[in-house]
Amino acid sequence: MSMEATELQDLSDDADYAASQQQGSASMMRSDSGKRSLQSEHEDAVLIYLKDNVAIHPTQFASERISGRLKLTKQDSVLFLSWIPYKGQTSNAKLSEKDRSLYTITAVPFTEVRSIRRHTPALGWQYVIVVLSSGLAFPPLYFYNGGVREFLAMVKQHVFLARSSEDQNVFIVNDFQSPLQRTLSSLELPSSLPVASGQSVYPLDGGSSSENQRRTSSDVGNRVSSVSQSGFRKQKSHDPTRDLSIHLLEKFSLVTKFARDTTTQLFSENNGFGSIDKRWNNQPVHSYPEKLSNIAEEKHHEIRHSYSENDLLKDDEISYIDVPADPLEFDKLSLMWGKPRQPPMGHKERRNDISPSIKCRISTEYFTALLDSEGRVVESKALRERVFYGGIEHQLRREVWPFLLGYYAYDSTYAEREYLRSVKRMEYATLKQQWQSISPEQAKRFTKYRERKGLIDKDVVRTDRAFEYYEGDDNLHVNSMRDILLTYSFYNFDLGYCQGMSDYLSPILFVMEDESESFWCFVALMERLGPNFNRDQNGMHTQLFALSKLVELLDSPLHNYFKENDCLNYFFCFRWILIQFKREFEYEKTMQLWEVMWTHYLSEHFHLYVCVAVLKRCRSKIMGEQMDFDTLLKFINELSGHIDLDSTVRDAEALCIEAGENGAASIPPGTPPSLPLDDGTLYPQEDDVL
Amino acid sequence: MASSGNKNINAKLVLLGDVGAGKSSLVLRFVKDQFVEFQESTIGAAFFSQTLAVNDATVKFEIWDTAGQERYHSLAPMYYRGAAAAIIVFDITNQASFERAKKWVQELQAQGNPNMVMALAGNKADLLDARKVSAEEAEIYAQENSLFFMETSAKTATNVKDIFYEIAKRLPRVQPAENPTGMVLPNGPGATAVSSSCCA
Repeated sequence: MSMEATELQDLSDDADYAASQQQGSASMMRSDSGKRSLQSEHEDAVLIYLKDNVAIHPTQFASERISGRLKLTKQDSVLFLSWIPYKGQTSNAKLSEKDRSLYTITAVPFTEVRSIRRHTPALGWQYVIVVLSSGLAFPPLYFYNGGVREFLAMVKQHVFLARSSEDQNVFIVNDFQSPLQRTLSSLELPSSLPVASGQSVYPLDGGSSSENQRRTSSDVGNRVSSVSQSGFRKQKSHDPTRDLSIHLLEKFSLVTKFARDTTTQLFSENNGFGSIDKRWNNQPVHSYPEKLSNIAEEKHHEIRHSYSENDLLKDDEISYIDVPADPLEFDKLSLMWGKPRQPPMGHKERRNDISPSIKCRISTEYFTALLDSEGRVVESKALRERVFYGGIEHQLRREVWPFLLGYYAYDSTYAEREYLRSVKRMEYATLKQQWQSISPEQAKRFTKYRERKGLIDKDVVRTDRAFEYYEGDDNLHVNSMRDILLTYSFYNFDLGYCQGMSDYLSPILFVMEDESESFWCFVALMERLGPNFNRDQNGMHTQLFALSKLVELLDSPLHNYFKENDCLNYFFCFRWILIQFKREFEYEKTMQLWEVMWTHYLSEHFHLYVCVAVLKRCRSKIMGEQMDFDTLLKFINELSGHIDLDSTVRDAEALCIEAGENGAASIPPGTPPSLPLDDGTLYPQEDDVL
Repeated sequence: MASSGNKNINAKLVLLGDVGAGKSSLVLRFVKDQFVEFQESTIGAAFFSQTLAVNDATVKFEIWDTAGQERYHSLAPMYYRGAAAAIIVFDITNQASFERAKKWVQELQAQGNPNMVMALAGNKADLLDARKVSAEEAEIYAQENSLFFMETSAKTATNVKDIFYEIAKRLPRVQPAENPTGMVLPNGPGATAVSSSCCA
C-alpha cells in the first residue's frame, strides 16, 4: 500500500508526471537507439500507420487540448509508437511549445508496452491509454475522428495482441517470458485471434452494432481463456491485468490535470465527504488520497455498467449524423463524475442475523447519534449531506423524511415533536371530518366535492397497485390514500386534487405508515411542489424554462438542437418534473432519489440537474437519430425503467457543481421547489369544469 | 395532417376524454394487445405508433394519448394541433364522462382541423349492467355532429381494432379518388358497429 501511495504522490503533480513521461520515453529512446545502432542503423523506419487529429487533453479547457499525429513505425521488426503535437497551432497562448513537447511521445517500442486499454464510450470520443511495462502510462489519446479499432487492428498485425480475459477493453501486448511460450502462442493463438486486415474483418472495436460487438468480445474472451487454461497456466499467472499496481497505474493515466484537480478536491477532505461547495477548477492540487484507487476501480465498473447493461440508454456506436461534441470535456473522463455513494444511512448497523424489529431499533440508534440529548439535529447540513451521498435505510426513513420535507424542524426536541404530532393528529381529524360529515343529500348539491371525490377514487385504485403495500381488493392503504387526498383537497381547497398527487403520496404513506403523519408530510411537500399542479401550469413552465437554461449552459449543442427542432418547451420532460421521476424508477429507487433531492444539499433544484444528466446521457442518440418532438417524447417516456439511478445521480452532482453559480443564476427565483416569493393567496386559480 | 408517400400514410391521432374513460387502455389494447385492470393515470402525454393496412394503403398511426384531467386541459392543443384524427372517449357507465366528451367535440370543431376524422368511443362496453349512457343517445349525438360512433371495450378488445380501422378508412388520402375528401358519412341509426361508408 505504501508503495502505491508513493507512486500516487509522484503522479499527483502534473509537471512531474509529464516530465517523467518525457524522461521515460527519452530513456527508452536512448536504450533503444543503442539497440538500433547495433542492429540496423542504416535501415530507415517504415511508416505503417498514421492518424491525424489524435489529441491529448492536459486540462479541462478545450483551448488547451493538444492535437497531433499518431504514428506507428517499424524498424527492424520492432514496432514503435509516436505521437507528435502539431507545430504552430497555438490556439492558446498559455500553451507554450515547452508544454507541447512535454507530452510528445517519441518512438516508444512496443517491447516496452505492456497493454493498451481502449475506451469507446457511447458518449464522446474514443481514446486509448497506452501502459508501459514500467507501469507508467501515457495520457489518454483521443481519436477525434474515430479509428481506435483500425489502430488496434494495425498494431495487431505487427505485435501479438491478446484481449485480456478479465477486461475486454484491455489488450495485452505480448510479454511472454520465454521464447518457447512465445512460439507456442504464435502456433496456437492466431487461429482464435485472426489478424485483422485493413478492413474490419474482425470487429475488435466498436462493431457495427453493439450486440455484435458484445457477442464477438465474449467469444474472444472465451477463446483466450480456454487457451490459457489448456496450456498456459504460467502465462495466466503473468497476466498483467492481474497485477494490481499496473492496473491502478493504468487507471491513473485517466487522471489528467483536470480530473486530478477535481478528484483531489472531491476526495481529499474527511473521508471523501467534505464540503464541495466551491468550484473545482480553482482548487489547489493536494496530495492524492489513497482512496482514489478504489474510486478509480468503481468508476471503471460503473462505466461498464451504465453503458453496456443499459441498452436503451446506450447510444449506438455509429451515429447517423455528425453529432456535435459535448462541450463539457469531463463527459469523456468519466473518472470525475460525482462521488461514489455510501451505503444508505443506517445500513452499517444492519445485520442479517437479527430480527427486523432489532434492525429497526439499531437503525434508529444510528440516527439518534446525530441528535443532541433533547433530540435536536445537531448539524442539519451533516445529516443532509449524509443522505445526499447514500440515501437512508428504509427503516429509518420515517424518522428522517419529516425533517427533509420540513414537517419537523431540525432544531425541534423530542418533546416538541411529540407535541406537534398530537396537535397535528387532532387537526387532521378535524379536517377529515369536514368532508366525512357531508351527507348524501348535501353531496347531491355539492358538485365540486363529488367531482373531486370521483377523481380521487379513480386515481387511488390505479396508483402503484402492483406494489405489495397497495395490492389486492379492499386494501386499507388504498383507502388511507383516498382519505388523505380528499382531506388535502379540503385543507387546500384552492389547489384541490390533481393527477400526480397520488404518485407523491403513495411512497410517503408507505414510509410513514400513519395517516396523519403522512398527511402532514404530504402537506409539507406540496408547500414546495404544489405549484406543479397550478391550473395555469405556471410552476411547470418555470421549471421547464429553468431546465432549458441549464441545458443551454451545460450542453449548448444539445440546446441548439432542441431549438432548431422546436423542442425548446421541454414538454418531453413534463412527467419527470411533475412527479419527480416517480414513473421512471422502481419504487425503492424512487424513494432513494426523492430523499437525495429533498436534502436540497447541493441545490434546491437538484431534480433539474437530474434531468440534464439523463438528457446528456442520451444526447448523441437524440441528435444522431434526429429525433423530432414526437419521437423524443416517445423515447423519453420509454426510458422509464431503464435509467441507472446511481450513475445518473452522480452525473447530476457533477453537473450541478460544474454549473455552480451560473447554474443557480439560470433558475428564476421562486421556481419550485423553492418556496413561493409572495405570501398572498397561494393558489389563485379557478377550478371550473371545462 | 395525413401525408402520403406512395400509399404509405402517416396519420397523427389524438385521444381525448375524461379521466378514467379508458384512453390509455384503448391505445394499449390497439398497440400492444394488452390490458391492465388498474392502468395508471397518464401524466403529461404518451406517444405510440401502430400501423394498419387499409385498402391499398398502409396507415401508420402516430397516437397521442393525453391526460384526462381538466387541470391539464391547457396542454391539449399542443397535442391535437395538426392531428388528422381524434378519438373522443367516454365511459358508458359514467354520464359525466359523456358530457365531457361533448365538450371535447365542441373544442375540436371550433379549433381543430376541419378535415379531422373524429370518432366517438363509448368505452367499457363490457360493463353492461352499469351502463349510464345508452347507445342510442350517443349515436344520435354522433350523427348530429358528423362523428362516427362505436362502443368499445379495451378489456375484451371489442371493436378496438375496428375503430382505428374505420378511422384509417376515412382518412382523406386513403379514400378512393372518386370520393370527396374530408367527408365523413354518419352511421345509420342503430348501427353502432361500422358505418355504411363507401368501399372500393
